[in-house]
Amino acid sequence: MNTLADYAELHCLSNFSFLRGASHPEELVERAAALGYVALAITDECSLAGAVRAHLAARDRQIKLILGSEFALSDGPRLVLLAVDRVSYGDLSELITCGRRAAGKGKYSLERADVARIATRCLALWLPEEIPGPVLDPEPGLWLRQYFPGSAWIAVELMRDGLDGARLARLADLGRQTGLPLVASGDVHMHVRARRALQDTLTAIRLGVPLEEAGCALNANGERHLRTRRVLARLYVPELLAETKRIAGRCRFSLDELRYEYPEEVVPTGEMPAAYLARLVTEGLGRRWPAGAPARVRGLVAHELALIAELGYEPYFLTVYDIVRFARARGILCQGRGSAANSVVCYCLGITEVDPDRIETLFERFISRERNEPPDIDVDFEHDRREEVIQYIYRKYGRARAALAATVITYRPRSAVRDVGKALGLAPEQLDRLTANLQWWDGRDVVPDRLAEAGFDPANPAIRRLMERVRELLGFPRHLSQHVGGFVIARGPLSSLVPIENAAMPERTVIQWDKDDLDALGLLKVDCLALGMLSAIHRAFDLIEAVQGRRLTMASLPAEDPAVYAMIQRADTVGVFQIESRAQMAMLPRLRPDRFYDLVIEVAIVRPGPIQGGMVHPYLRRRRGEEPVSYPSEAVREVLARTLGVPIFQEQVIRLAMVAAGFSAGEADRLRRAMAAWHRRGGLEHFEQRLIDGMRANGYTEDFARQIFAQIQGFGEYGFPESHAASFALLVYASAWLKCHEPAAFLCALLNSQPMGFYSPAQLVQDARRHGVEVRPADVRTSDWDCTLESGRSCAPAVRLGLSLVRGLSRAGARRLVEARMQAPFTGVADLARRAQLARHDLGMLAAAGALAGLAGHRHVAHWTVAGVEPDLPLLEGRDVAEAQPLLRPPTEGENIVADYASLGLSLRRHPLALLRLHLDRLGVHCAAAVRLLSRGSPVRTAGLVIGRQRPGSAGGVIFVTLEDETGHVNVIVWPGVAERERRALLGARLLVVTGEIQREGEVLHVIARCLEDRSELLGALVTHSRDFR
Amino acid sequence: MLWLCLHLPDLALEIFTRGAPANDPLVVVCGNGRKRRVALCNAAARGRGIRPDMGLNAAHALAGSLRVCERDREAERVALDRLAAWSGQFTSVVSRTPPQALLLEVAGSCRLFGGLERLKEMVSRGVAELGYRASLASAPTPLAASWLAQDGREACVTRQNALAAVLASLPLTCLGLTAKQSETLHGMGVRTIGDCLRLPRDGLARRMGPELIHILDRALGCVPDPRPAFVAPSVFASSLPLPGAVSTAEGLLFPVRRLLLELEGFLRARDAGTRSLSLSFHHAAAGTTPVRLELVAPSRDAAYLTLLLRERLDRVALPAPVEEVSLHVADPCPLAPRNLDFFAPAQAAEGMLIERLRARLGRDAVRGLGQVAEHRPERAWTYAEPGSGAAVRGGSGRQLLQGSACTSHGAEDRKRPLWLLREPMPLEVRGERPYLDGMLVLGRERERIESGWWDGQDIARDYFIACSGQGVRLWVYRELAGEHRWFLHGMFA
Repeated sequence: MNTLADYAELHCLSNFSFLRGASHPEELVERAAALGYVALAITDECSLAGAVRAHLAARDRQIKLILGSEFALSDGPRLVLLAVDRVSYGDLSELITCGRRAAGKGKYSLERADVARIATRCLALWLPEEIPGPVLDPEPGLWLRQYFPGSAWIAVELMRDGLDGARLARLADLGRQTGLPLVASGDVHMHVRARRALQDTLTAIRLGVPLEEAGCALNANGERHLRTRRVLARLYVPELLAETKRIAGRCRFSLDELRYEYPEEVVPTGEMPAAYLARLVTEGLGRRWPAGAPARVRGLVAHELALIAELGYEPYFLTVYDIVRFARARGILCQGRGSAANSVVCYCLGITEVDPDRIETLFERFISRERNEPPDIDVDFEHDRREEVIQYIYRKYGRARAALAATVITYRPRSAVRDVGKALGLAPEQLDRLTANLQWWDGRDVVPDRLAEAGFDPANPAIRRLMERVRELLGFPRHLSQHVGGFVIARGPLSSLVPIENAAMPERTVIQWDKDDLDALGLLKVDCLALGMLSAIHRAFDLIEAVQGRRLTMASLPAEDPAVYAMIQRADTVGVFQIESRAQMAMLPRLRPDRFYDLVIEVAIVRPGPIQGGMVHPYLRRRRGEEPVSYPSEAVREVLARTLGVPIFQEQVIRLAMVAAGFSAGEADRLRRAMAAWHRRGGLEHFEQRLIDGMRANGYTEDFARQIFAQIQGFGEYGFPESHAASFALLVYASAWLKCHEPAAFLCALLNSQPMGFYSPAQLVQDARRHGVEVRPADVRTSDWDCTLESGRSCAPAVRLGLSLVRGLSRAGARRLVEARMQAPFTGVADLARRAQLARHDLGMLAAAGALAGLAGHRHVAHWTVAGVEPDLPLLEGRDVAEAQPLLRPPTEGENIVADYASLGLSLRRHPLALLRLHLDRLGVHCAAAVRLLSRGSPVRTAGLVIGRQRPGSAGGVIFVTLEDETGHVNVIVWPGVAERERRALLGARLLVVTGEIQREGEVLHVIARCLEDRSELLGALVTHSRDFR
Repeated sequence: MLWLCLHLPDLALEIFTRGAPANDPLVVVCGNGRKRRVALCNAAARGRGIRPDMGLNAAHALAGSLRVCERDREAERVALDRLAAWSGQFTSVVSRTPPQALLLEVAGSCRLFGGLERLKEMVSRGVAELGYRASLASAPTPLAASWLAQDGREACVTRQNALAAVLASLPLTCLGLTAKQSETLHGMGVRTIGDCLRLPRDGLARRMGPELIHILDRALGCVPDPRPAFVAPSVFASSLPLPGAVSTAEGLLFPVRRLLLELEGFLRARDAGTRSLSLSFHHAAAGTTPVRLELVAPSRDAAYLTLLLRERLDRVALPAPVEEVSLHVADPCPLAPRNLDFFAPAQAAEGMLIERLRARLGRDAVRGLGQVAEHRPERAWTYAEPGSGAAVRGGSGRQLLQGSACTSHGAEDRKRPLWLLREPMPLEVRGERPYLDGMLVLGRERERIESGWWDGQDIARDYFIACSGQGVRLWVYRELAGEHRWFLHGMFA
């Protein structure tokens, strides 16, 4: 039998050589394994960004992976460096860091001196430049031989382009002159020849020219793929192939060798991490349970500490503790979440506030040995103060040791169509049209019918080519960006672990691996995230303290308050964290939460996972007692008991895979990772059969198994584990409590924390006023920059709108205004202008906002007065008296409302629709309050300002429209057929009249639209804002 | 003084639609990228719900097949100039107020044309025939006339002391204020010119600047408002783009007639006629078909000229659809007939071989060859102007190629035959080897070319240099896909 020569590919680019490589690292590894290569080197250009993905694939496919990198030195030559061991891997990473840090984002700059200084412990393959003429310059080879004695080769890359004979002769010549041995390699850019078209496209995109003008910049053929060993044996003499195996043999490094080393400074000198942690936890126990912790808790603590010690995770908890302690000391509200966060240890360390008395069911599940997960703690900070925390981390550990994880920005449909379309020479106007709405894209694939609807012929060859390339390109990495807050902190310099490069933001650096990569290698990161609601809650606490003198904290809020749950059950939740969205509001009256754990479920259930898994209705039925709570087995009962036998959380689904489908811990871990990365990379499919087979083998129905898999896919869309839901539920409760008991402070805090949440300031204010909160207009005589609380007419405080809401007003001007007012009240506009040194622009903005009403009179007079202030020469006292005061017509109510909206984005006068009510009555329109009284099936005609349009991915093309009038909101459901027919009114209207019928389930009410009319013309110049399709 | 203002609200649109009526939705857009907005739209687009100032994407969402034209201010300026030249037939004082209005001082010509109403009617009809919609207004001051026309009031004010009352109800937008100024005035509750006039003069001047007062004074005739008179060019040149390319003579007659009407007005203004007209039909695929009309006696009558051209157009062979029509008249002359000079100056003979060959064999029979940066051999060359030898297409590709090692190297070493067959010729295969008057001996070097998928002409071939029995060196290839057939593609010298 004819045995083929062994081969190791030593020069191979993945798509992490952006716009060069045309295959994913995983594809390359799989293919190399299938072809029986001895080894595969991934040698992306000055990058190790694809290394971890390749590593994981190689581990699965049992093929040896070599890590290396290709470089084009600024003073020549081009070469590939390969890591042989941990030390040379560190050198390589260091060299890449050096090159990347020396250039702008996405570029690098290296010269021979850098290589000689840093990386001579690697192996080097020289890629001689192909210049015309019979001989090549041996000089770079001599340089290489000097610095890489015995470790440098000349790469022979035969491409069947008609020049191989000459090429081989010249390279052999070069070998004789330099004494360097020759080795075969493939300059691989793709895993299979079929990617040639994509590779051409990438080249055209990289060069910014259409394909037909790219000419000779394209490769002449598709030989730059992983070729079969049969072909290679025909191309190369055996010696050149054998040399690849020898080189591969010298490379012994694997990423498995990387050991993450925790920073040391989180432990006081002289103390051991375990002892220190135990001491802190004991102190915390005393603080949390002044009367002494119950035995159960003490038992849990002992258990958790033992587990942490066994796994060596103490420094991780201490690192997070250190960060949280810093935030606390600065008065920055923060809260941990994630699998490890909801442990008693974290509760004692102050990382979380989830009080175990309230949710005893939650504990003991969050750290477990068998789940084989590294601890994961995300910490949310007040969004406007997170930067302080980030700066603290940089200060404490230094920039060489702390860096943000990368986020790999990948091609999405819009960007892919745009780039491929340009390469194929489509007109910009066509591309605009294709990308304007992506209705032809269903999230997974191109839908030809909808493409036709958008005015493109799916059978047209040009469009077909476009869509083929787009399909291939989707998910390809485009560039590295910084993760929002995922910090890696190491004991030594990070750059010998993973290359660091410059981020787009100046002074920020990012490592070349993303959080999945870090996770896969067991490198730990701490996520420092920003959360607007924390800022709002903090502000509300401050406001309450200032007014009432009592200091609330997250921990001291009265727990399980029935009034709060009653409000939540009414879906009266505008402004409340998480449960304020339209979908959540529709769920609340059905789920009727009446204890903390219900909030945990509420937060998690309105997500793609449970919805796609069809778990929502079964859960609701069981909750209402309409369906018996049953479990297919005792094992399943253990997993699902707390959710009435219906899987709601991501953890439960993974756990189910283990107990019901027989997944091993390792498989379950891989499933979890695949879920996390699914929407970016795909790769869940092969779990499907495994899961279904496994569950059927254990006696579960195939239907149930398929449901579970659908749910897994849903989680891939937007994973939402119980551990996160639990922490979020705390904020839900806190914000709901504030809304219920301190509505004025809550409104004030929300307004001062904008932008955040689901509703605009106008809607927040309307909602608060409907709840009896007195809101007072912005007024230069009393308003600060932020909104403030004033004593109200009754005992409840009133909210005074702040000058920050005034569009176009400069912050500095507002500050001077407030300072001047503290000296003495203003006597008039001239006095204000002079003492606050306001530019006419700022004065104009104040006049437009109506904030001068107290000094100048109505808006028209205010504008006239303000316009009379001389720039840089404010009116002298009394000069305005000399001027004739014109008789200006006061603005009408409508004009005032329009001006309010234009300047402040809201109005405290009547709702715009109240002015139109007579007219609307003639149209036979019900107001929102009247609609709420109608019974199911009643015909209805209603109208309102469009304040939101949504097309949820899980709703099959249904569009939800929220209308607002002076009496409240109406939610409208527009089915796809109606949406198509009434598209113009649906997308264009500011004032929409809807005819349809009532759909009602208990308190949840929708209007099913049959007919839509755009009556925006009635609004005139009113500026309204709709939050659309977010 | 009596000023007649022609305000053209749709000029930006009409420059695209004058050549042929547009029944499909059409918009003129301005701005860049995501900020592209509809500036104007035609009736069909309005019917679909498209409105000015709408985002282009929104407009697309409303009309499936929407024609989009980029706003062309230069073309608008040119069109306004031509209309000014045409208006010269009604008065000697025509003044432009860009971007979209003309002012005609008609106090003198009213009587000539049978009164103001008659005159307005003639102007109005004439403008409509040219393909423009205009609103007309007349007033004793140019500004008042402009404002009234701009506001679409077909007013006719003749007495200066009536102006203030008439202008009072006009909106402030007439004043052409900056956004900032109108915002300020709007804030004071000032909505109309009348509101403005009611404000104290000094206070207003101090707040809005003296220009505003000055403008109002000019409009009311309190201060003079001299206008520069337009001076028409001595040569007539005009062109009309055709929205959808036109390929029938009948279809061309419509735009041609509009050009002739324009010409007629131009010539009337100069009290002249012409003896020769040059029409050019510009084709989409480059190239132009010229049509020249010589008249025995000077004329300017559009109806007559249309008649002549209709006959002529029937006989013109159009090689391709026409995208633009232009009309050129270089020598307006007095209408009285004059002797013609039949003898054109003899052309200096050009000694160049190419020209003579071309003259004898036809222009297209003499061509040069150029290189194209392309991997596919059949597309790696092109016809070029003789003697230029330059790459025609793929220019950028060639520049890129400077930095690309493999191809610059290839250009030197890679063997290409001088004679490439027009169509590759299938070769017989005997015993798996190609055969052409004997077995072919293949060279060792294989050149694999796989390229061209993007235009649907993908090739995948292995090329070899082969020796025939007669010792001729041939360039042959084998298909990599399908039946793996052999072809002869070229011969080396």
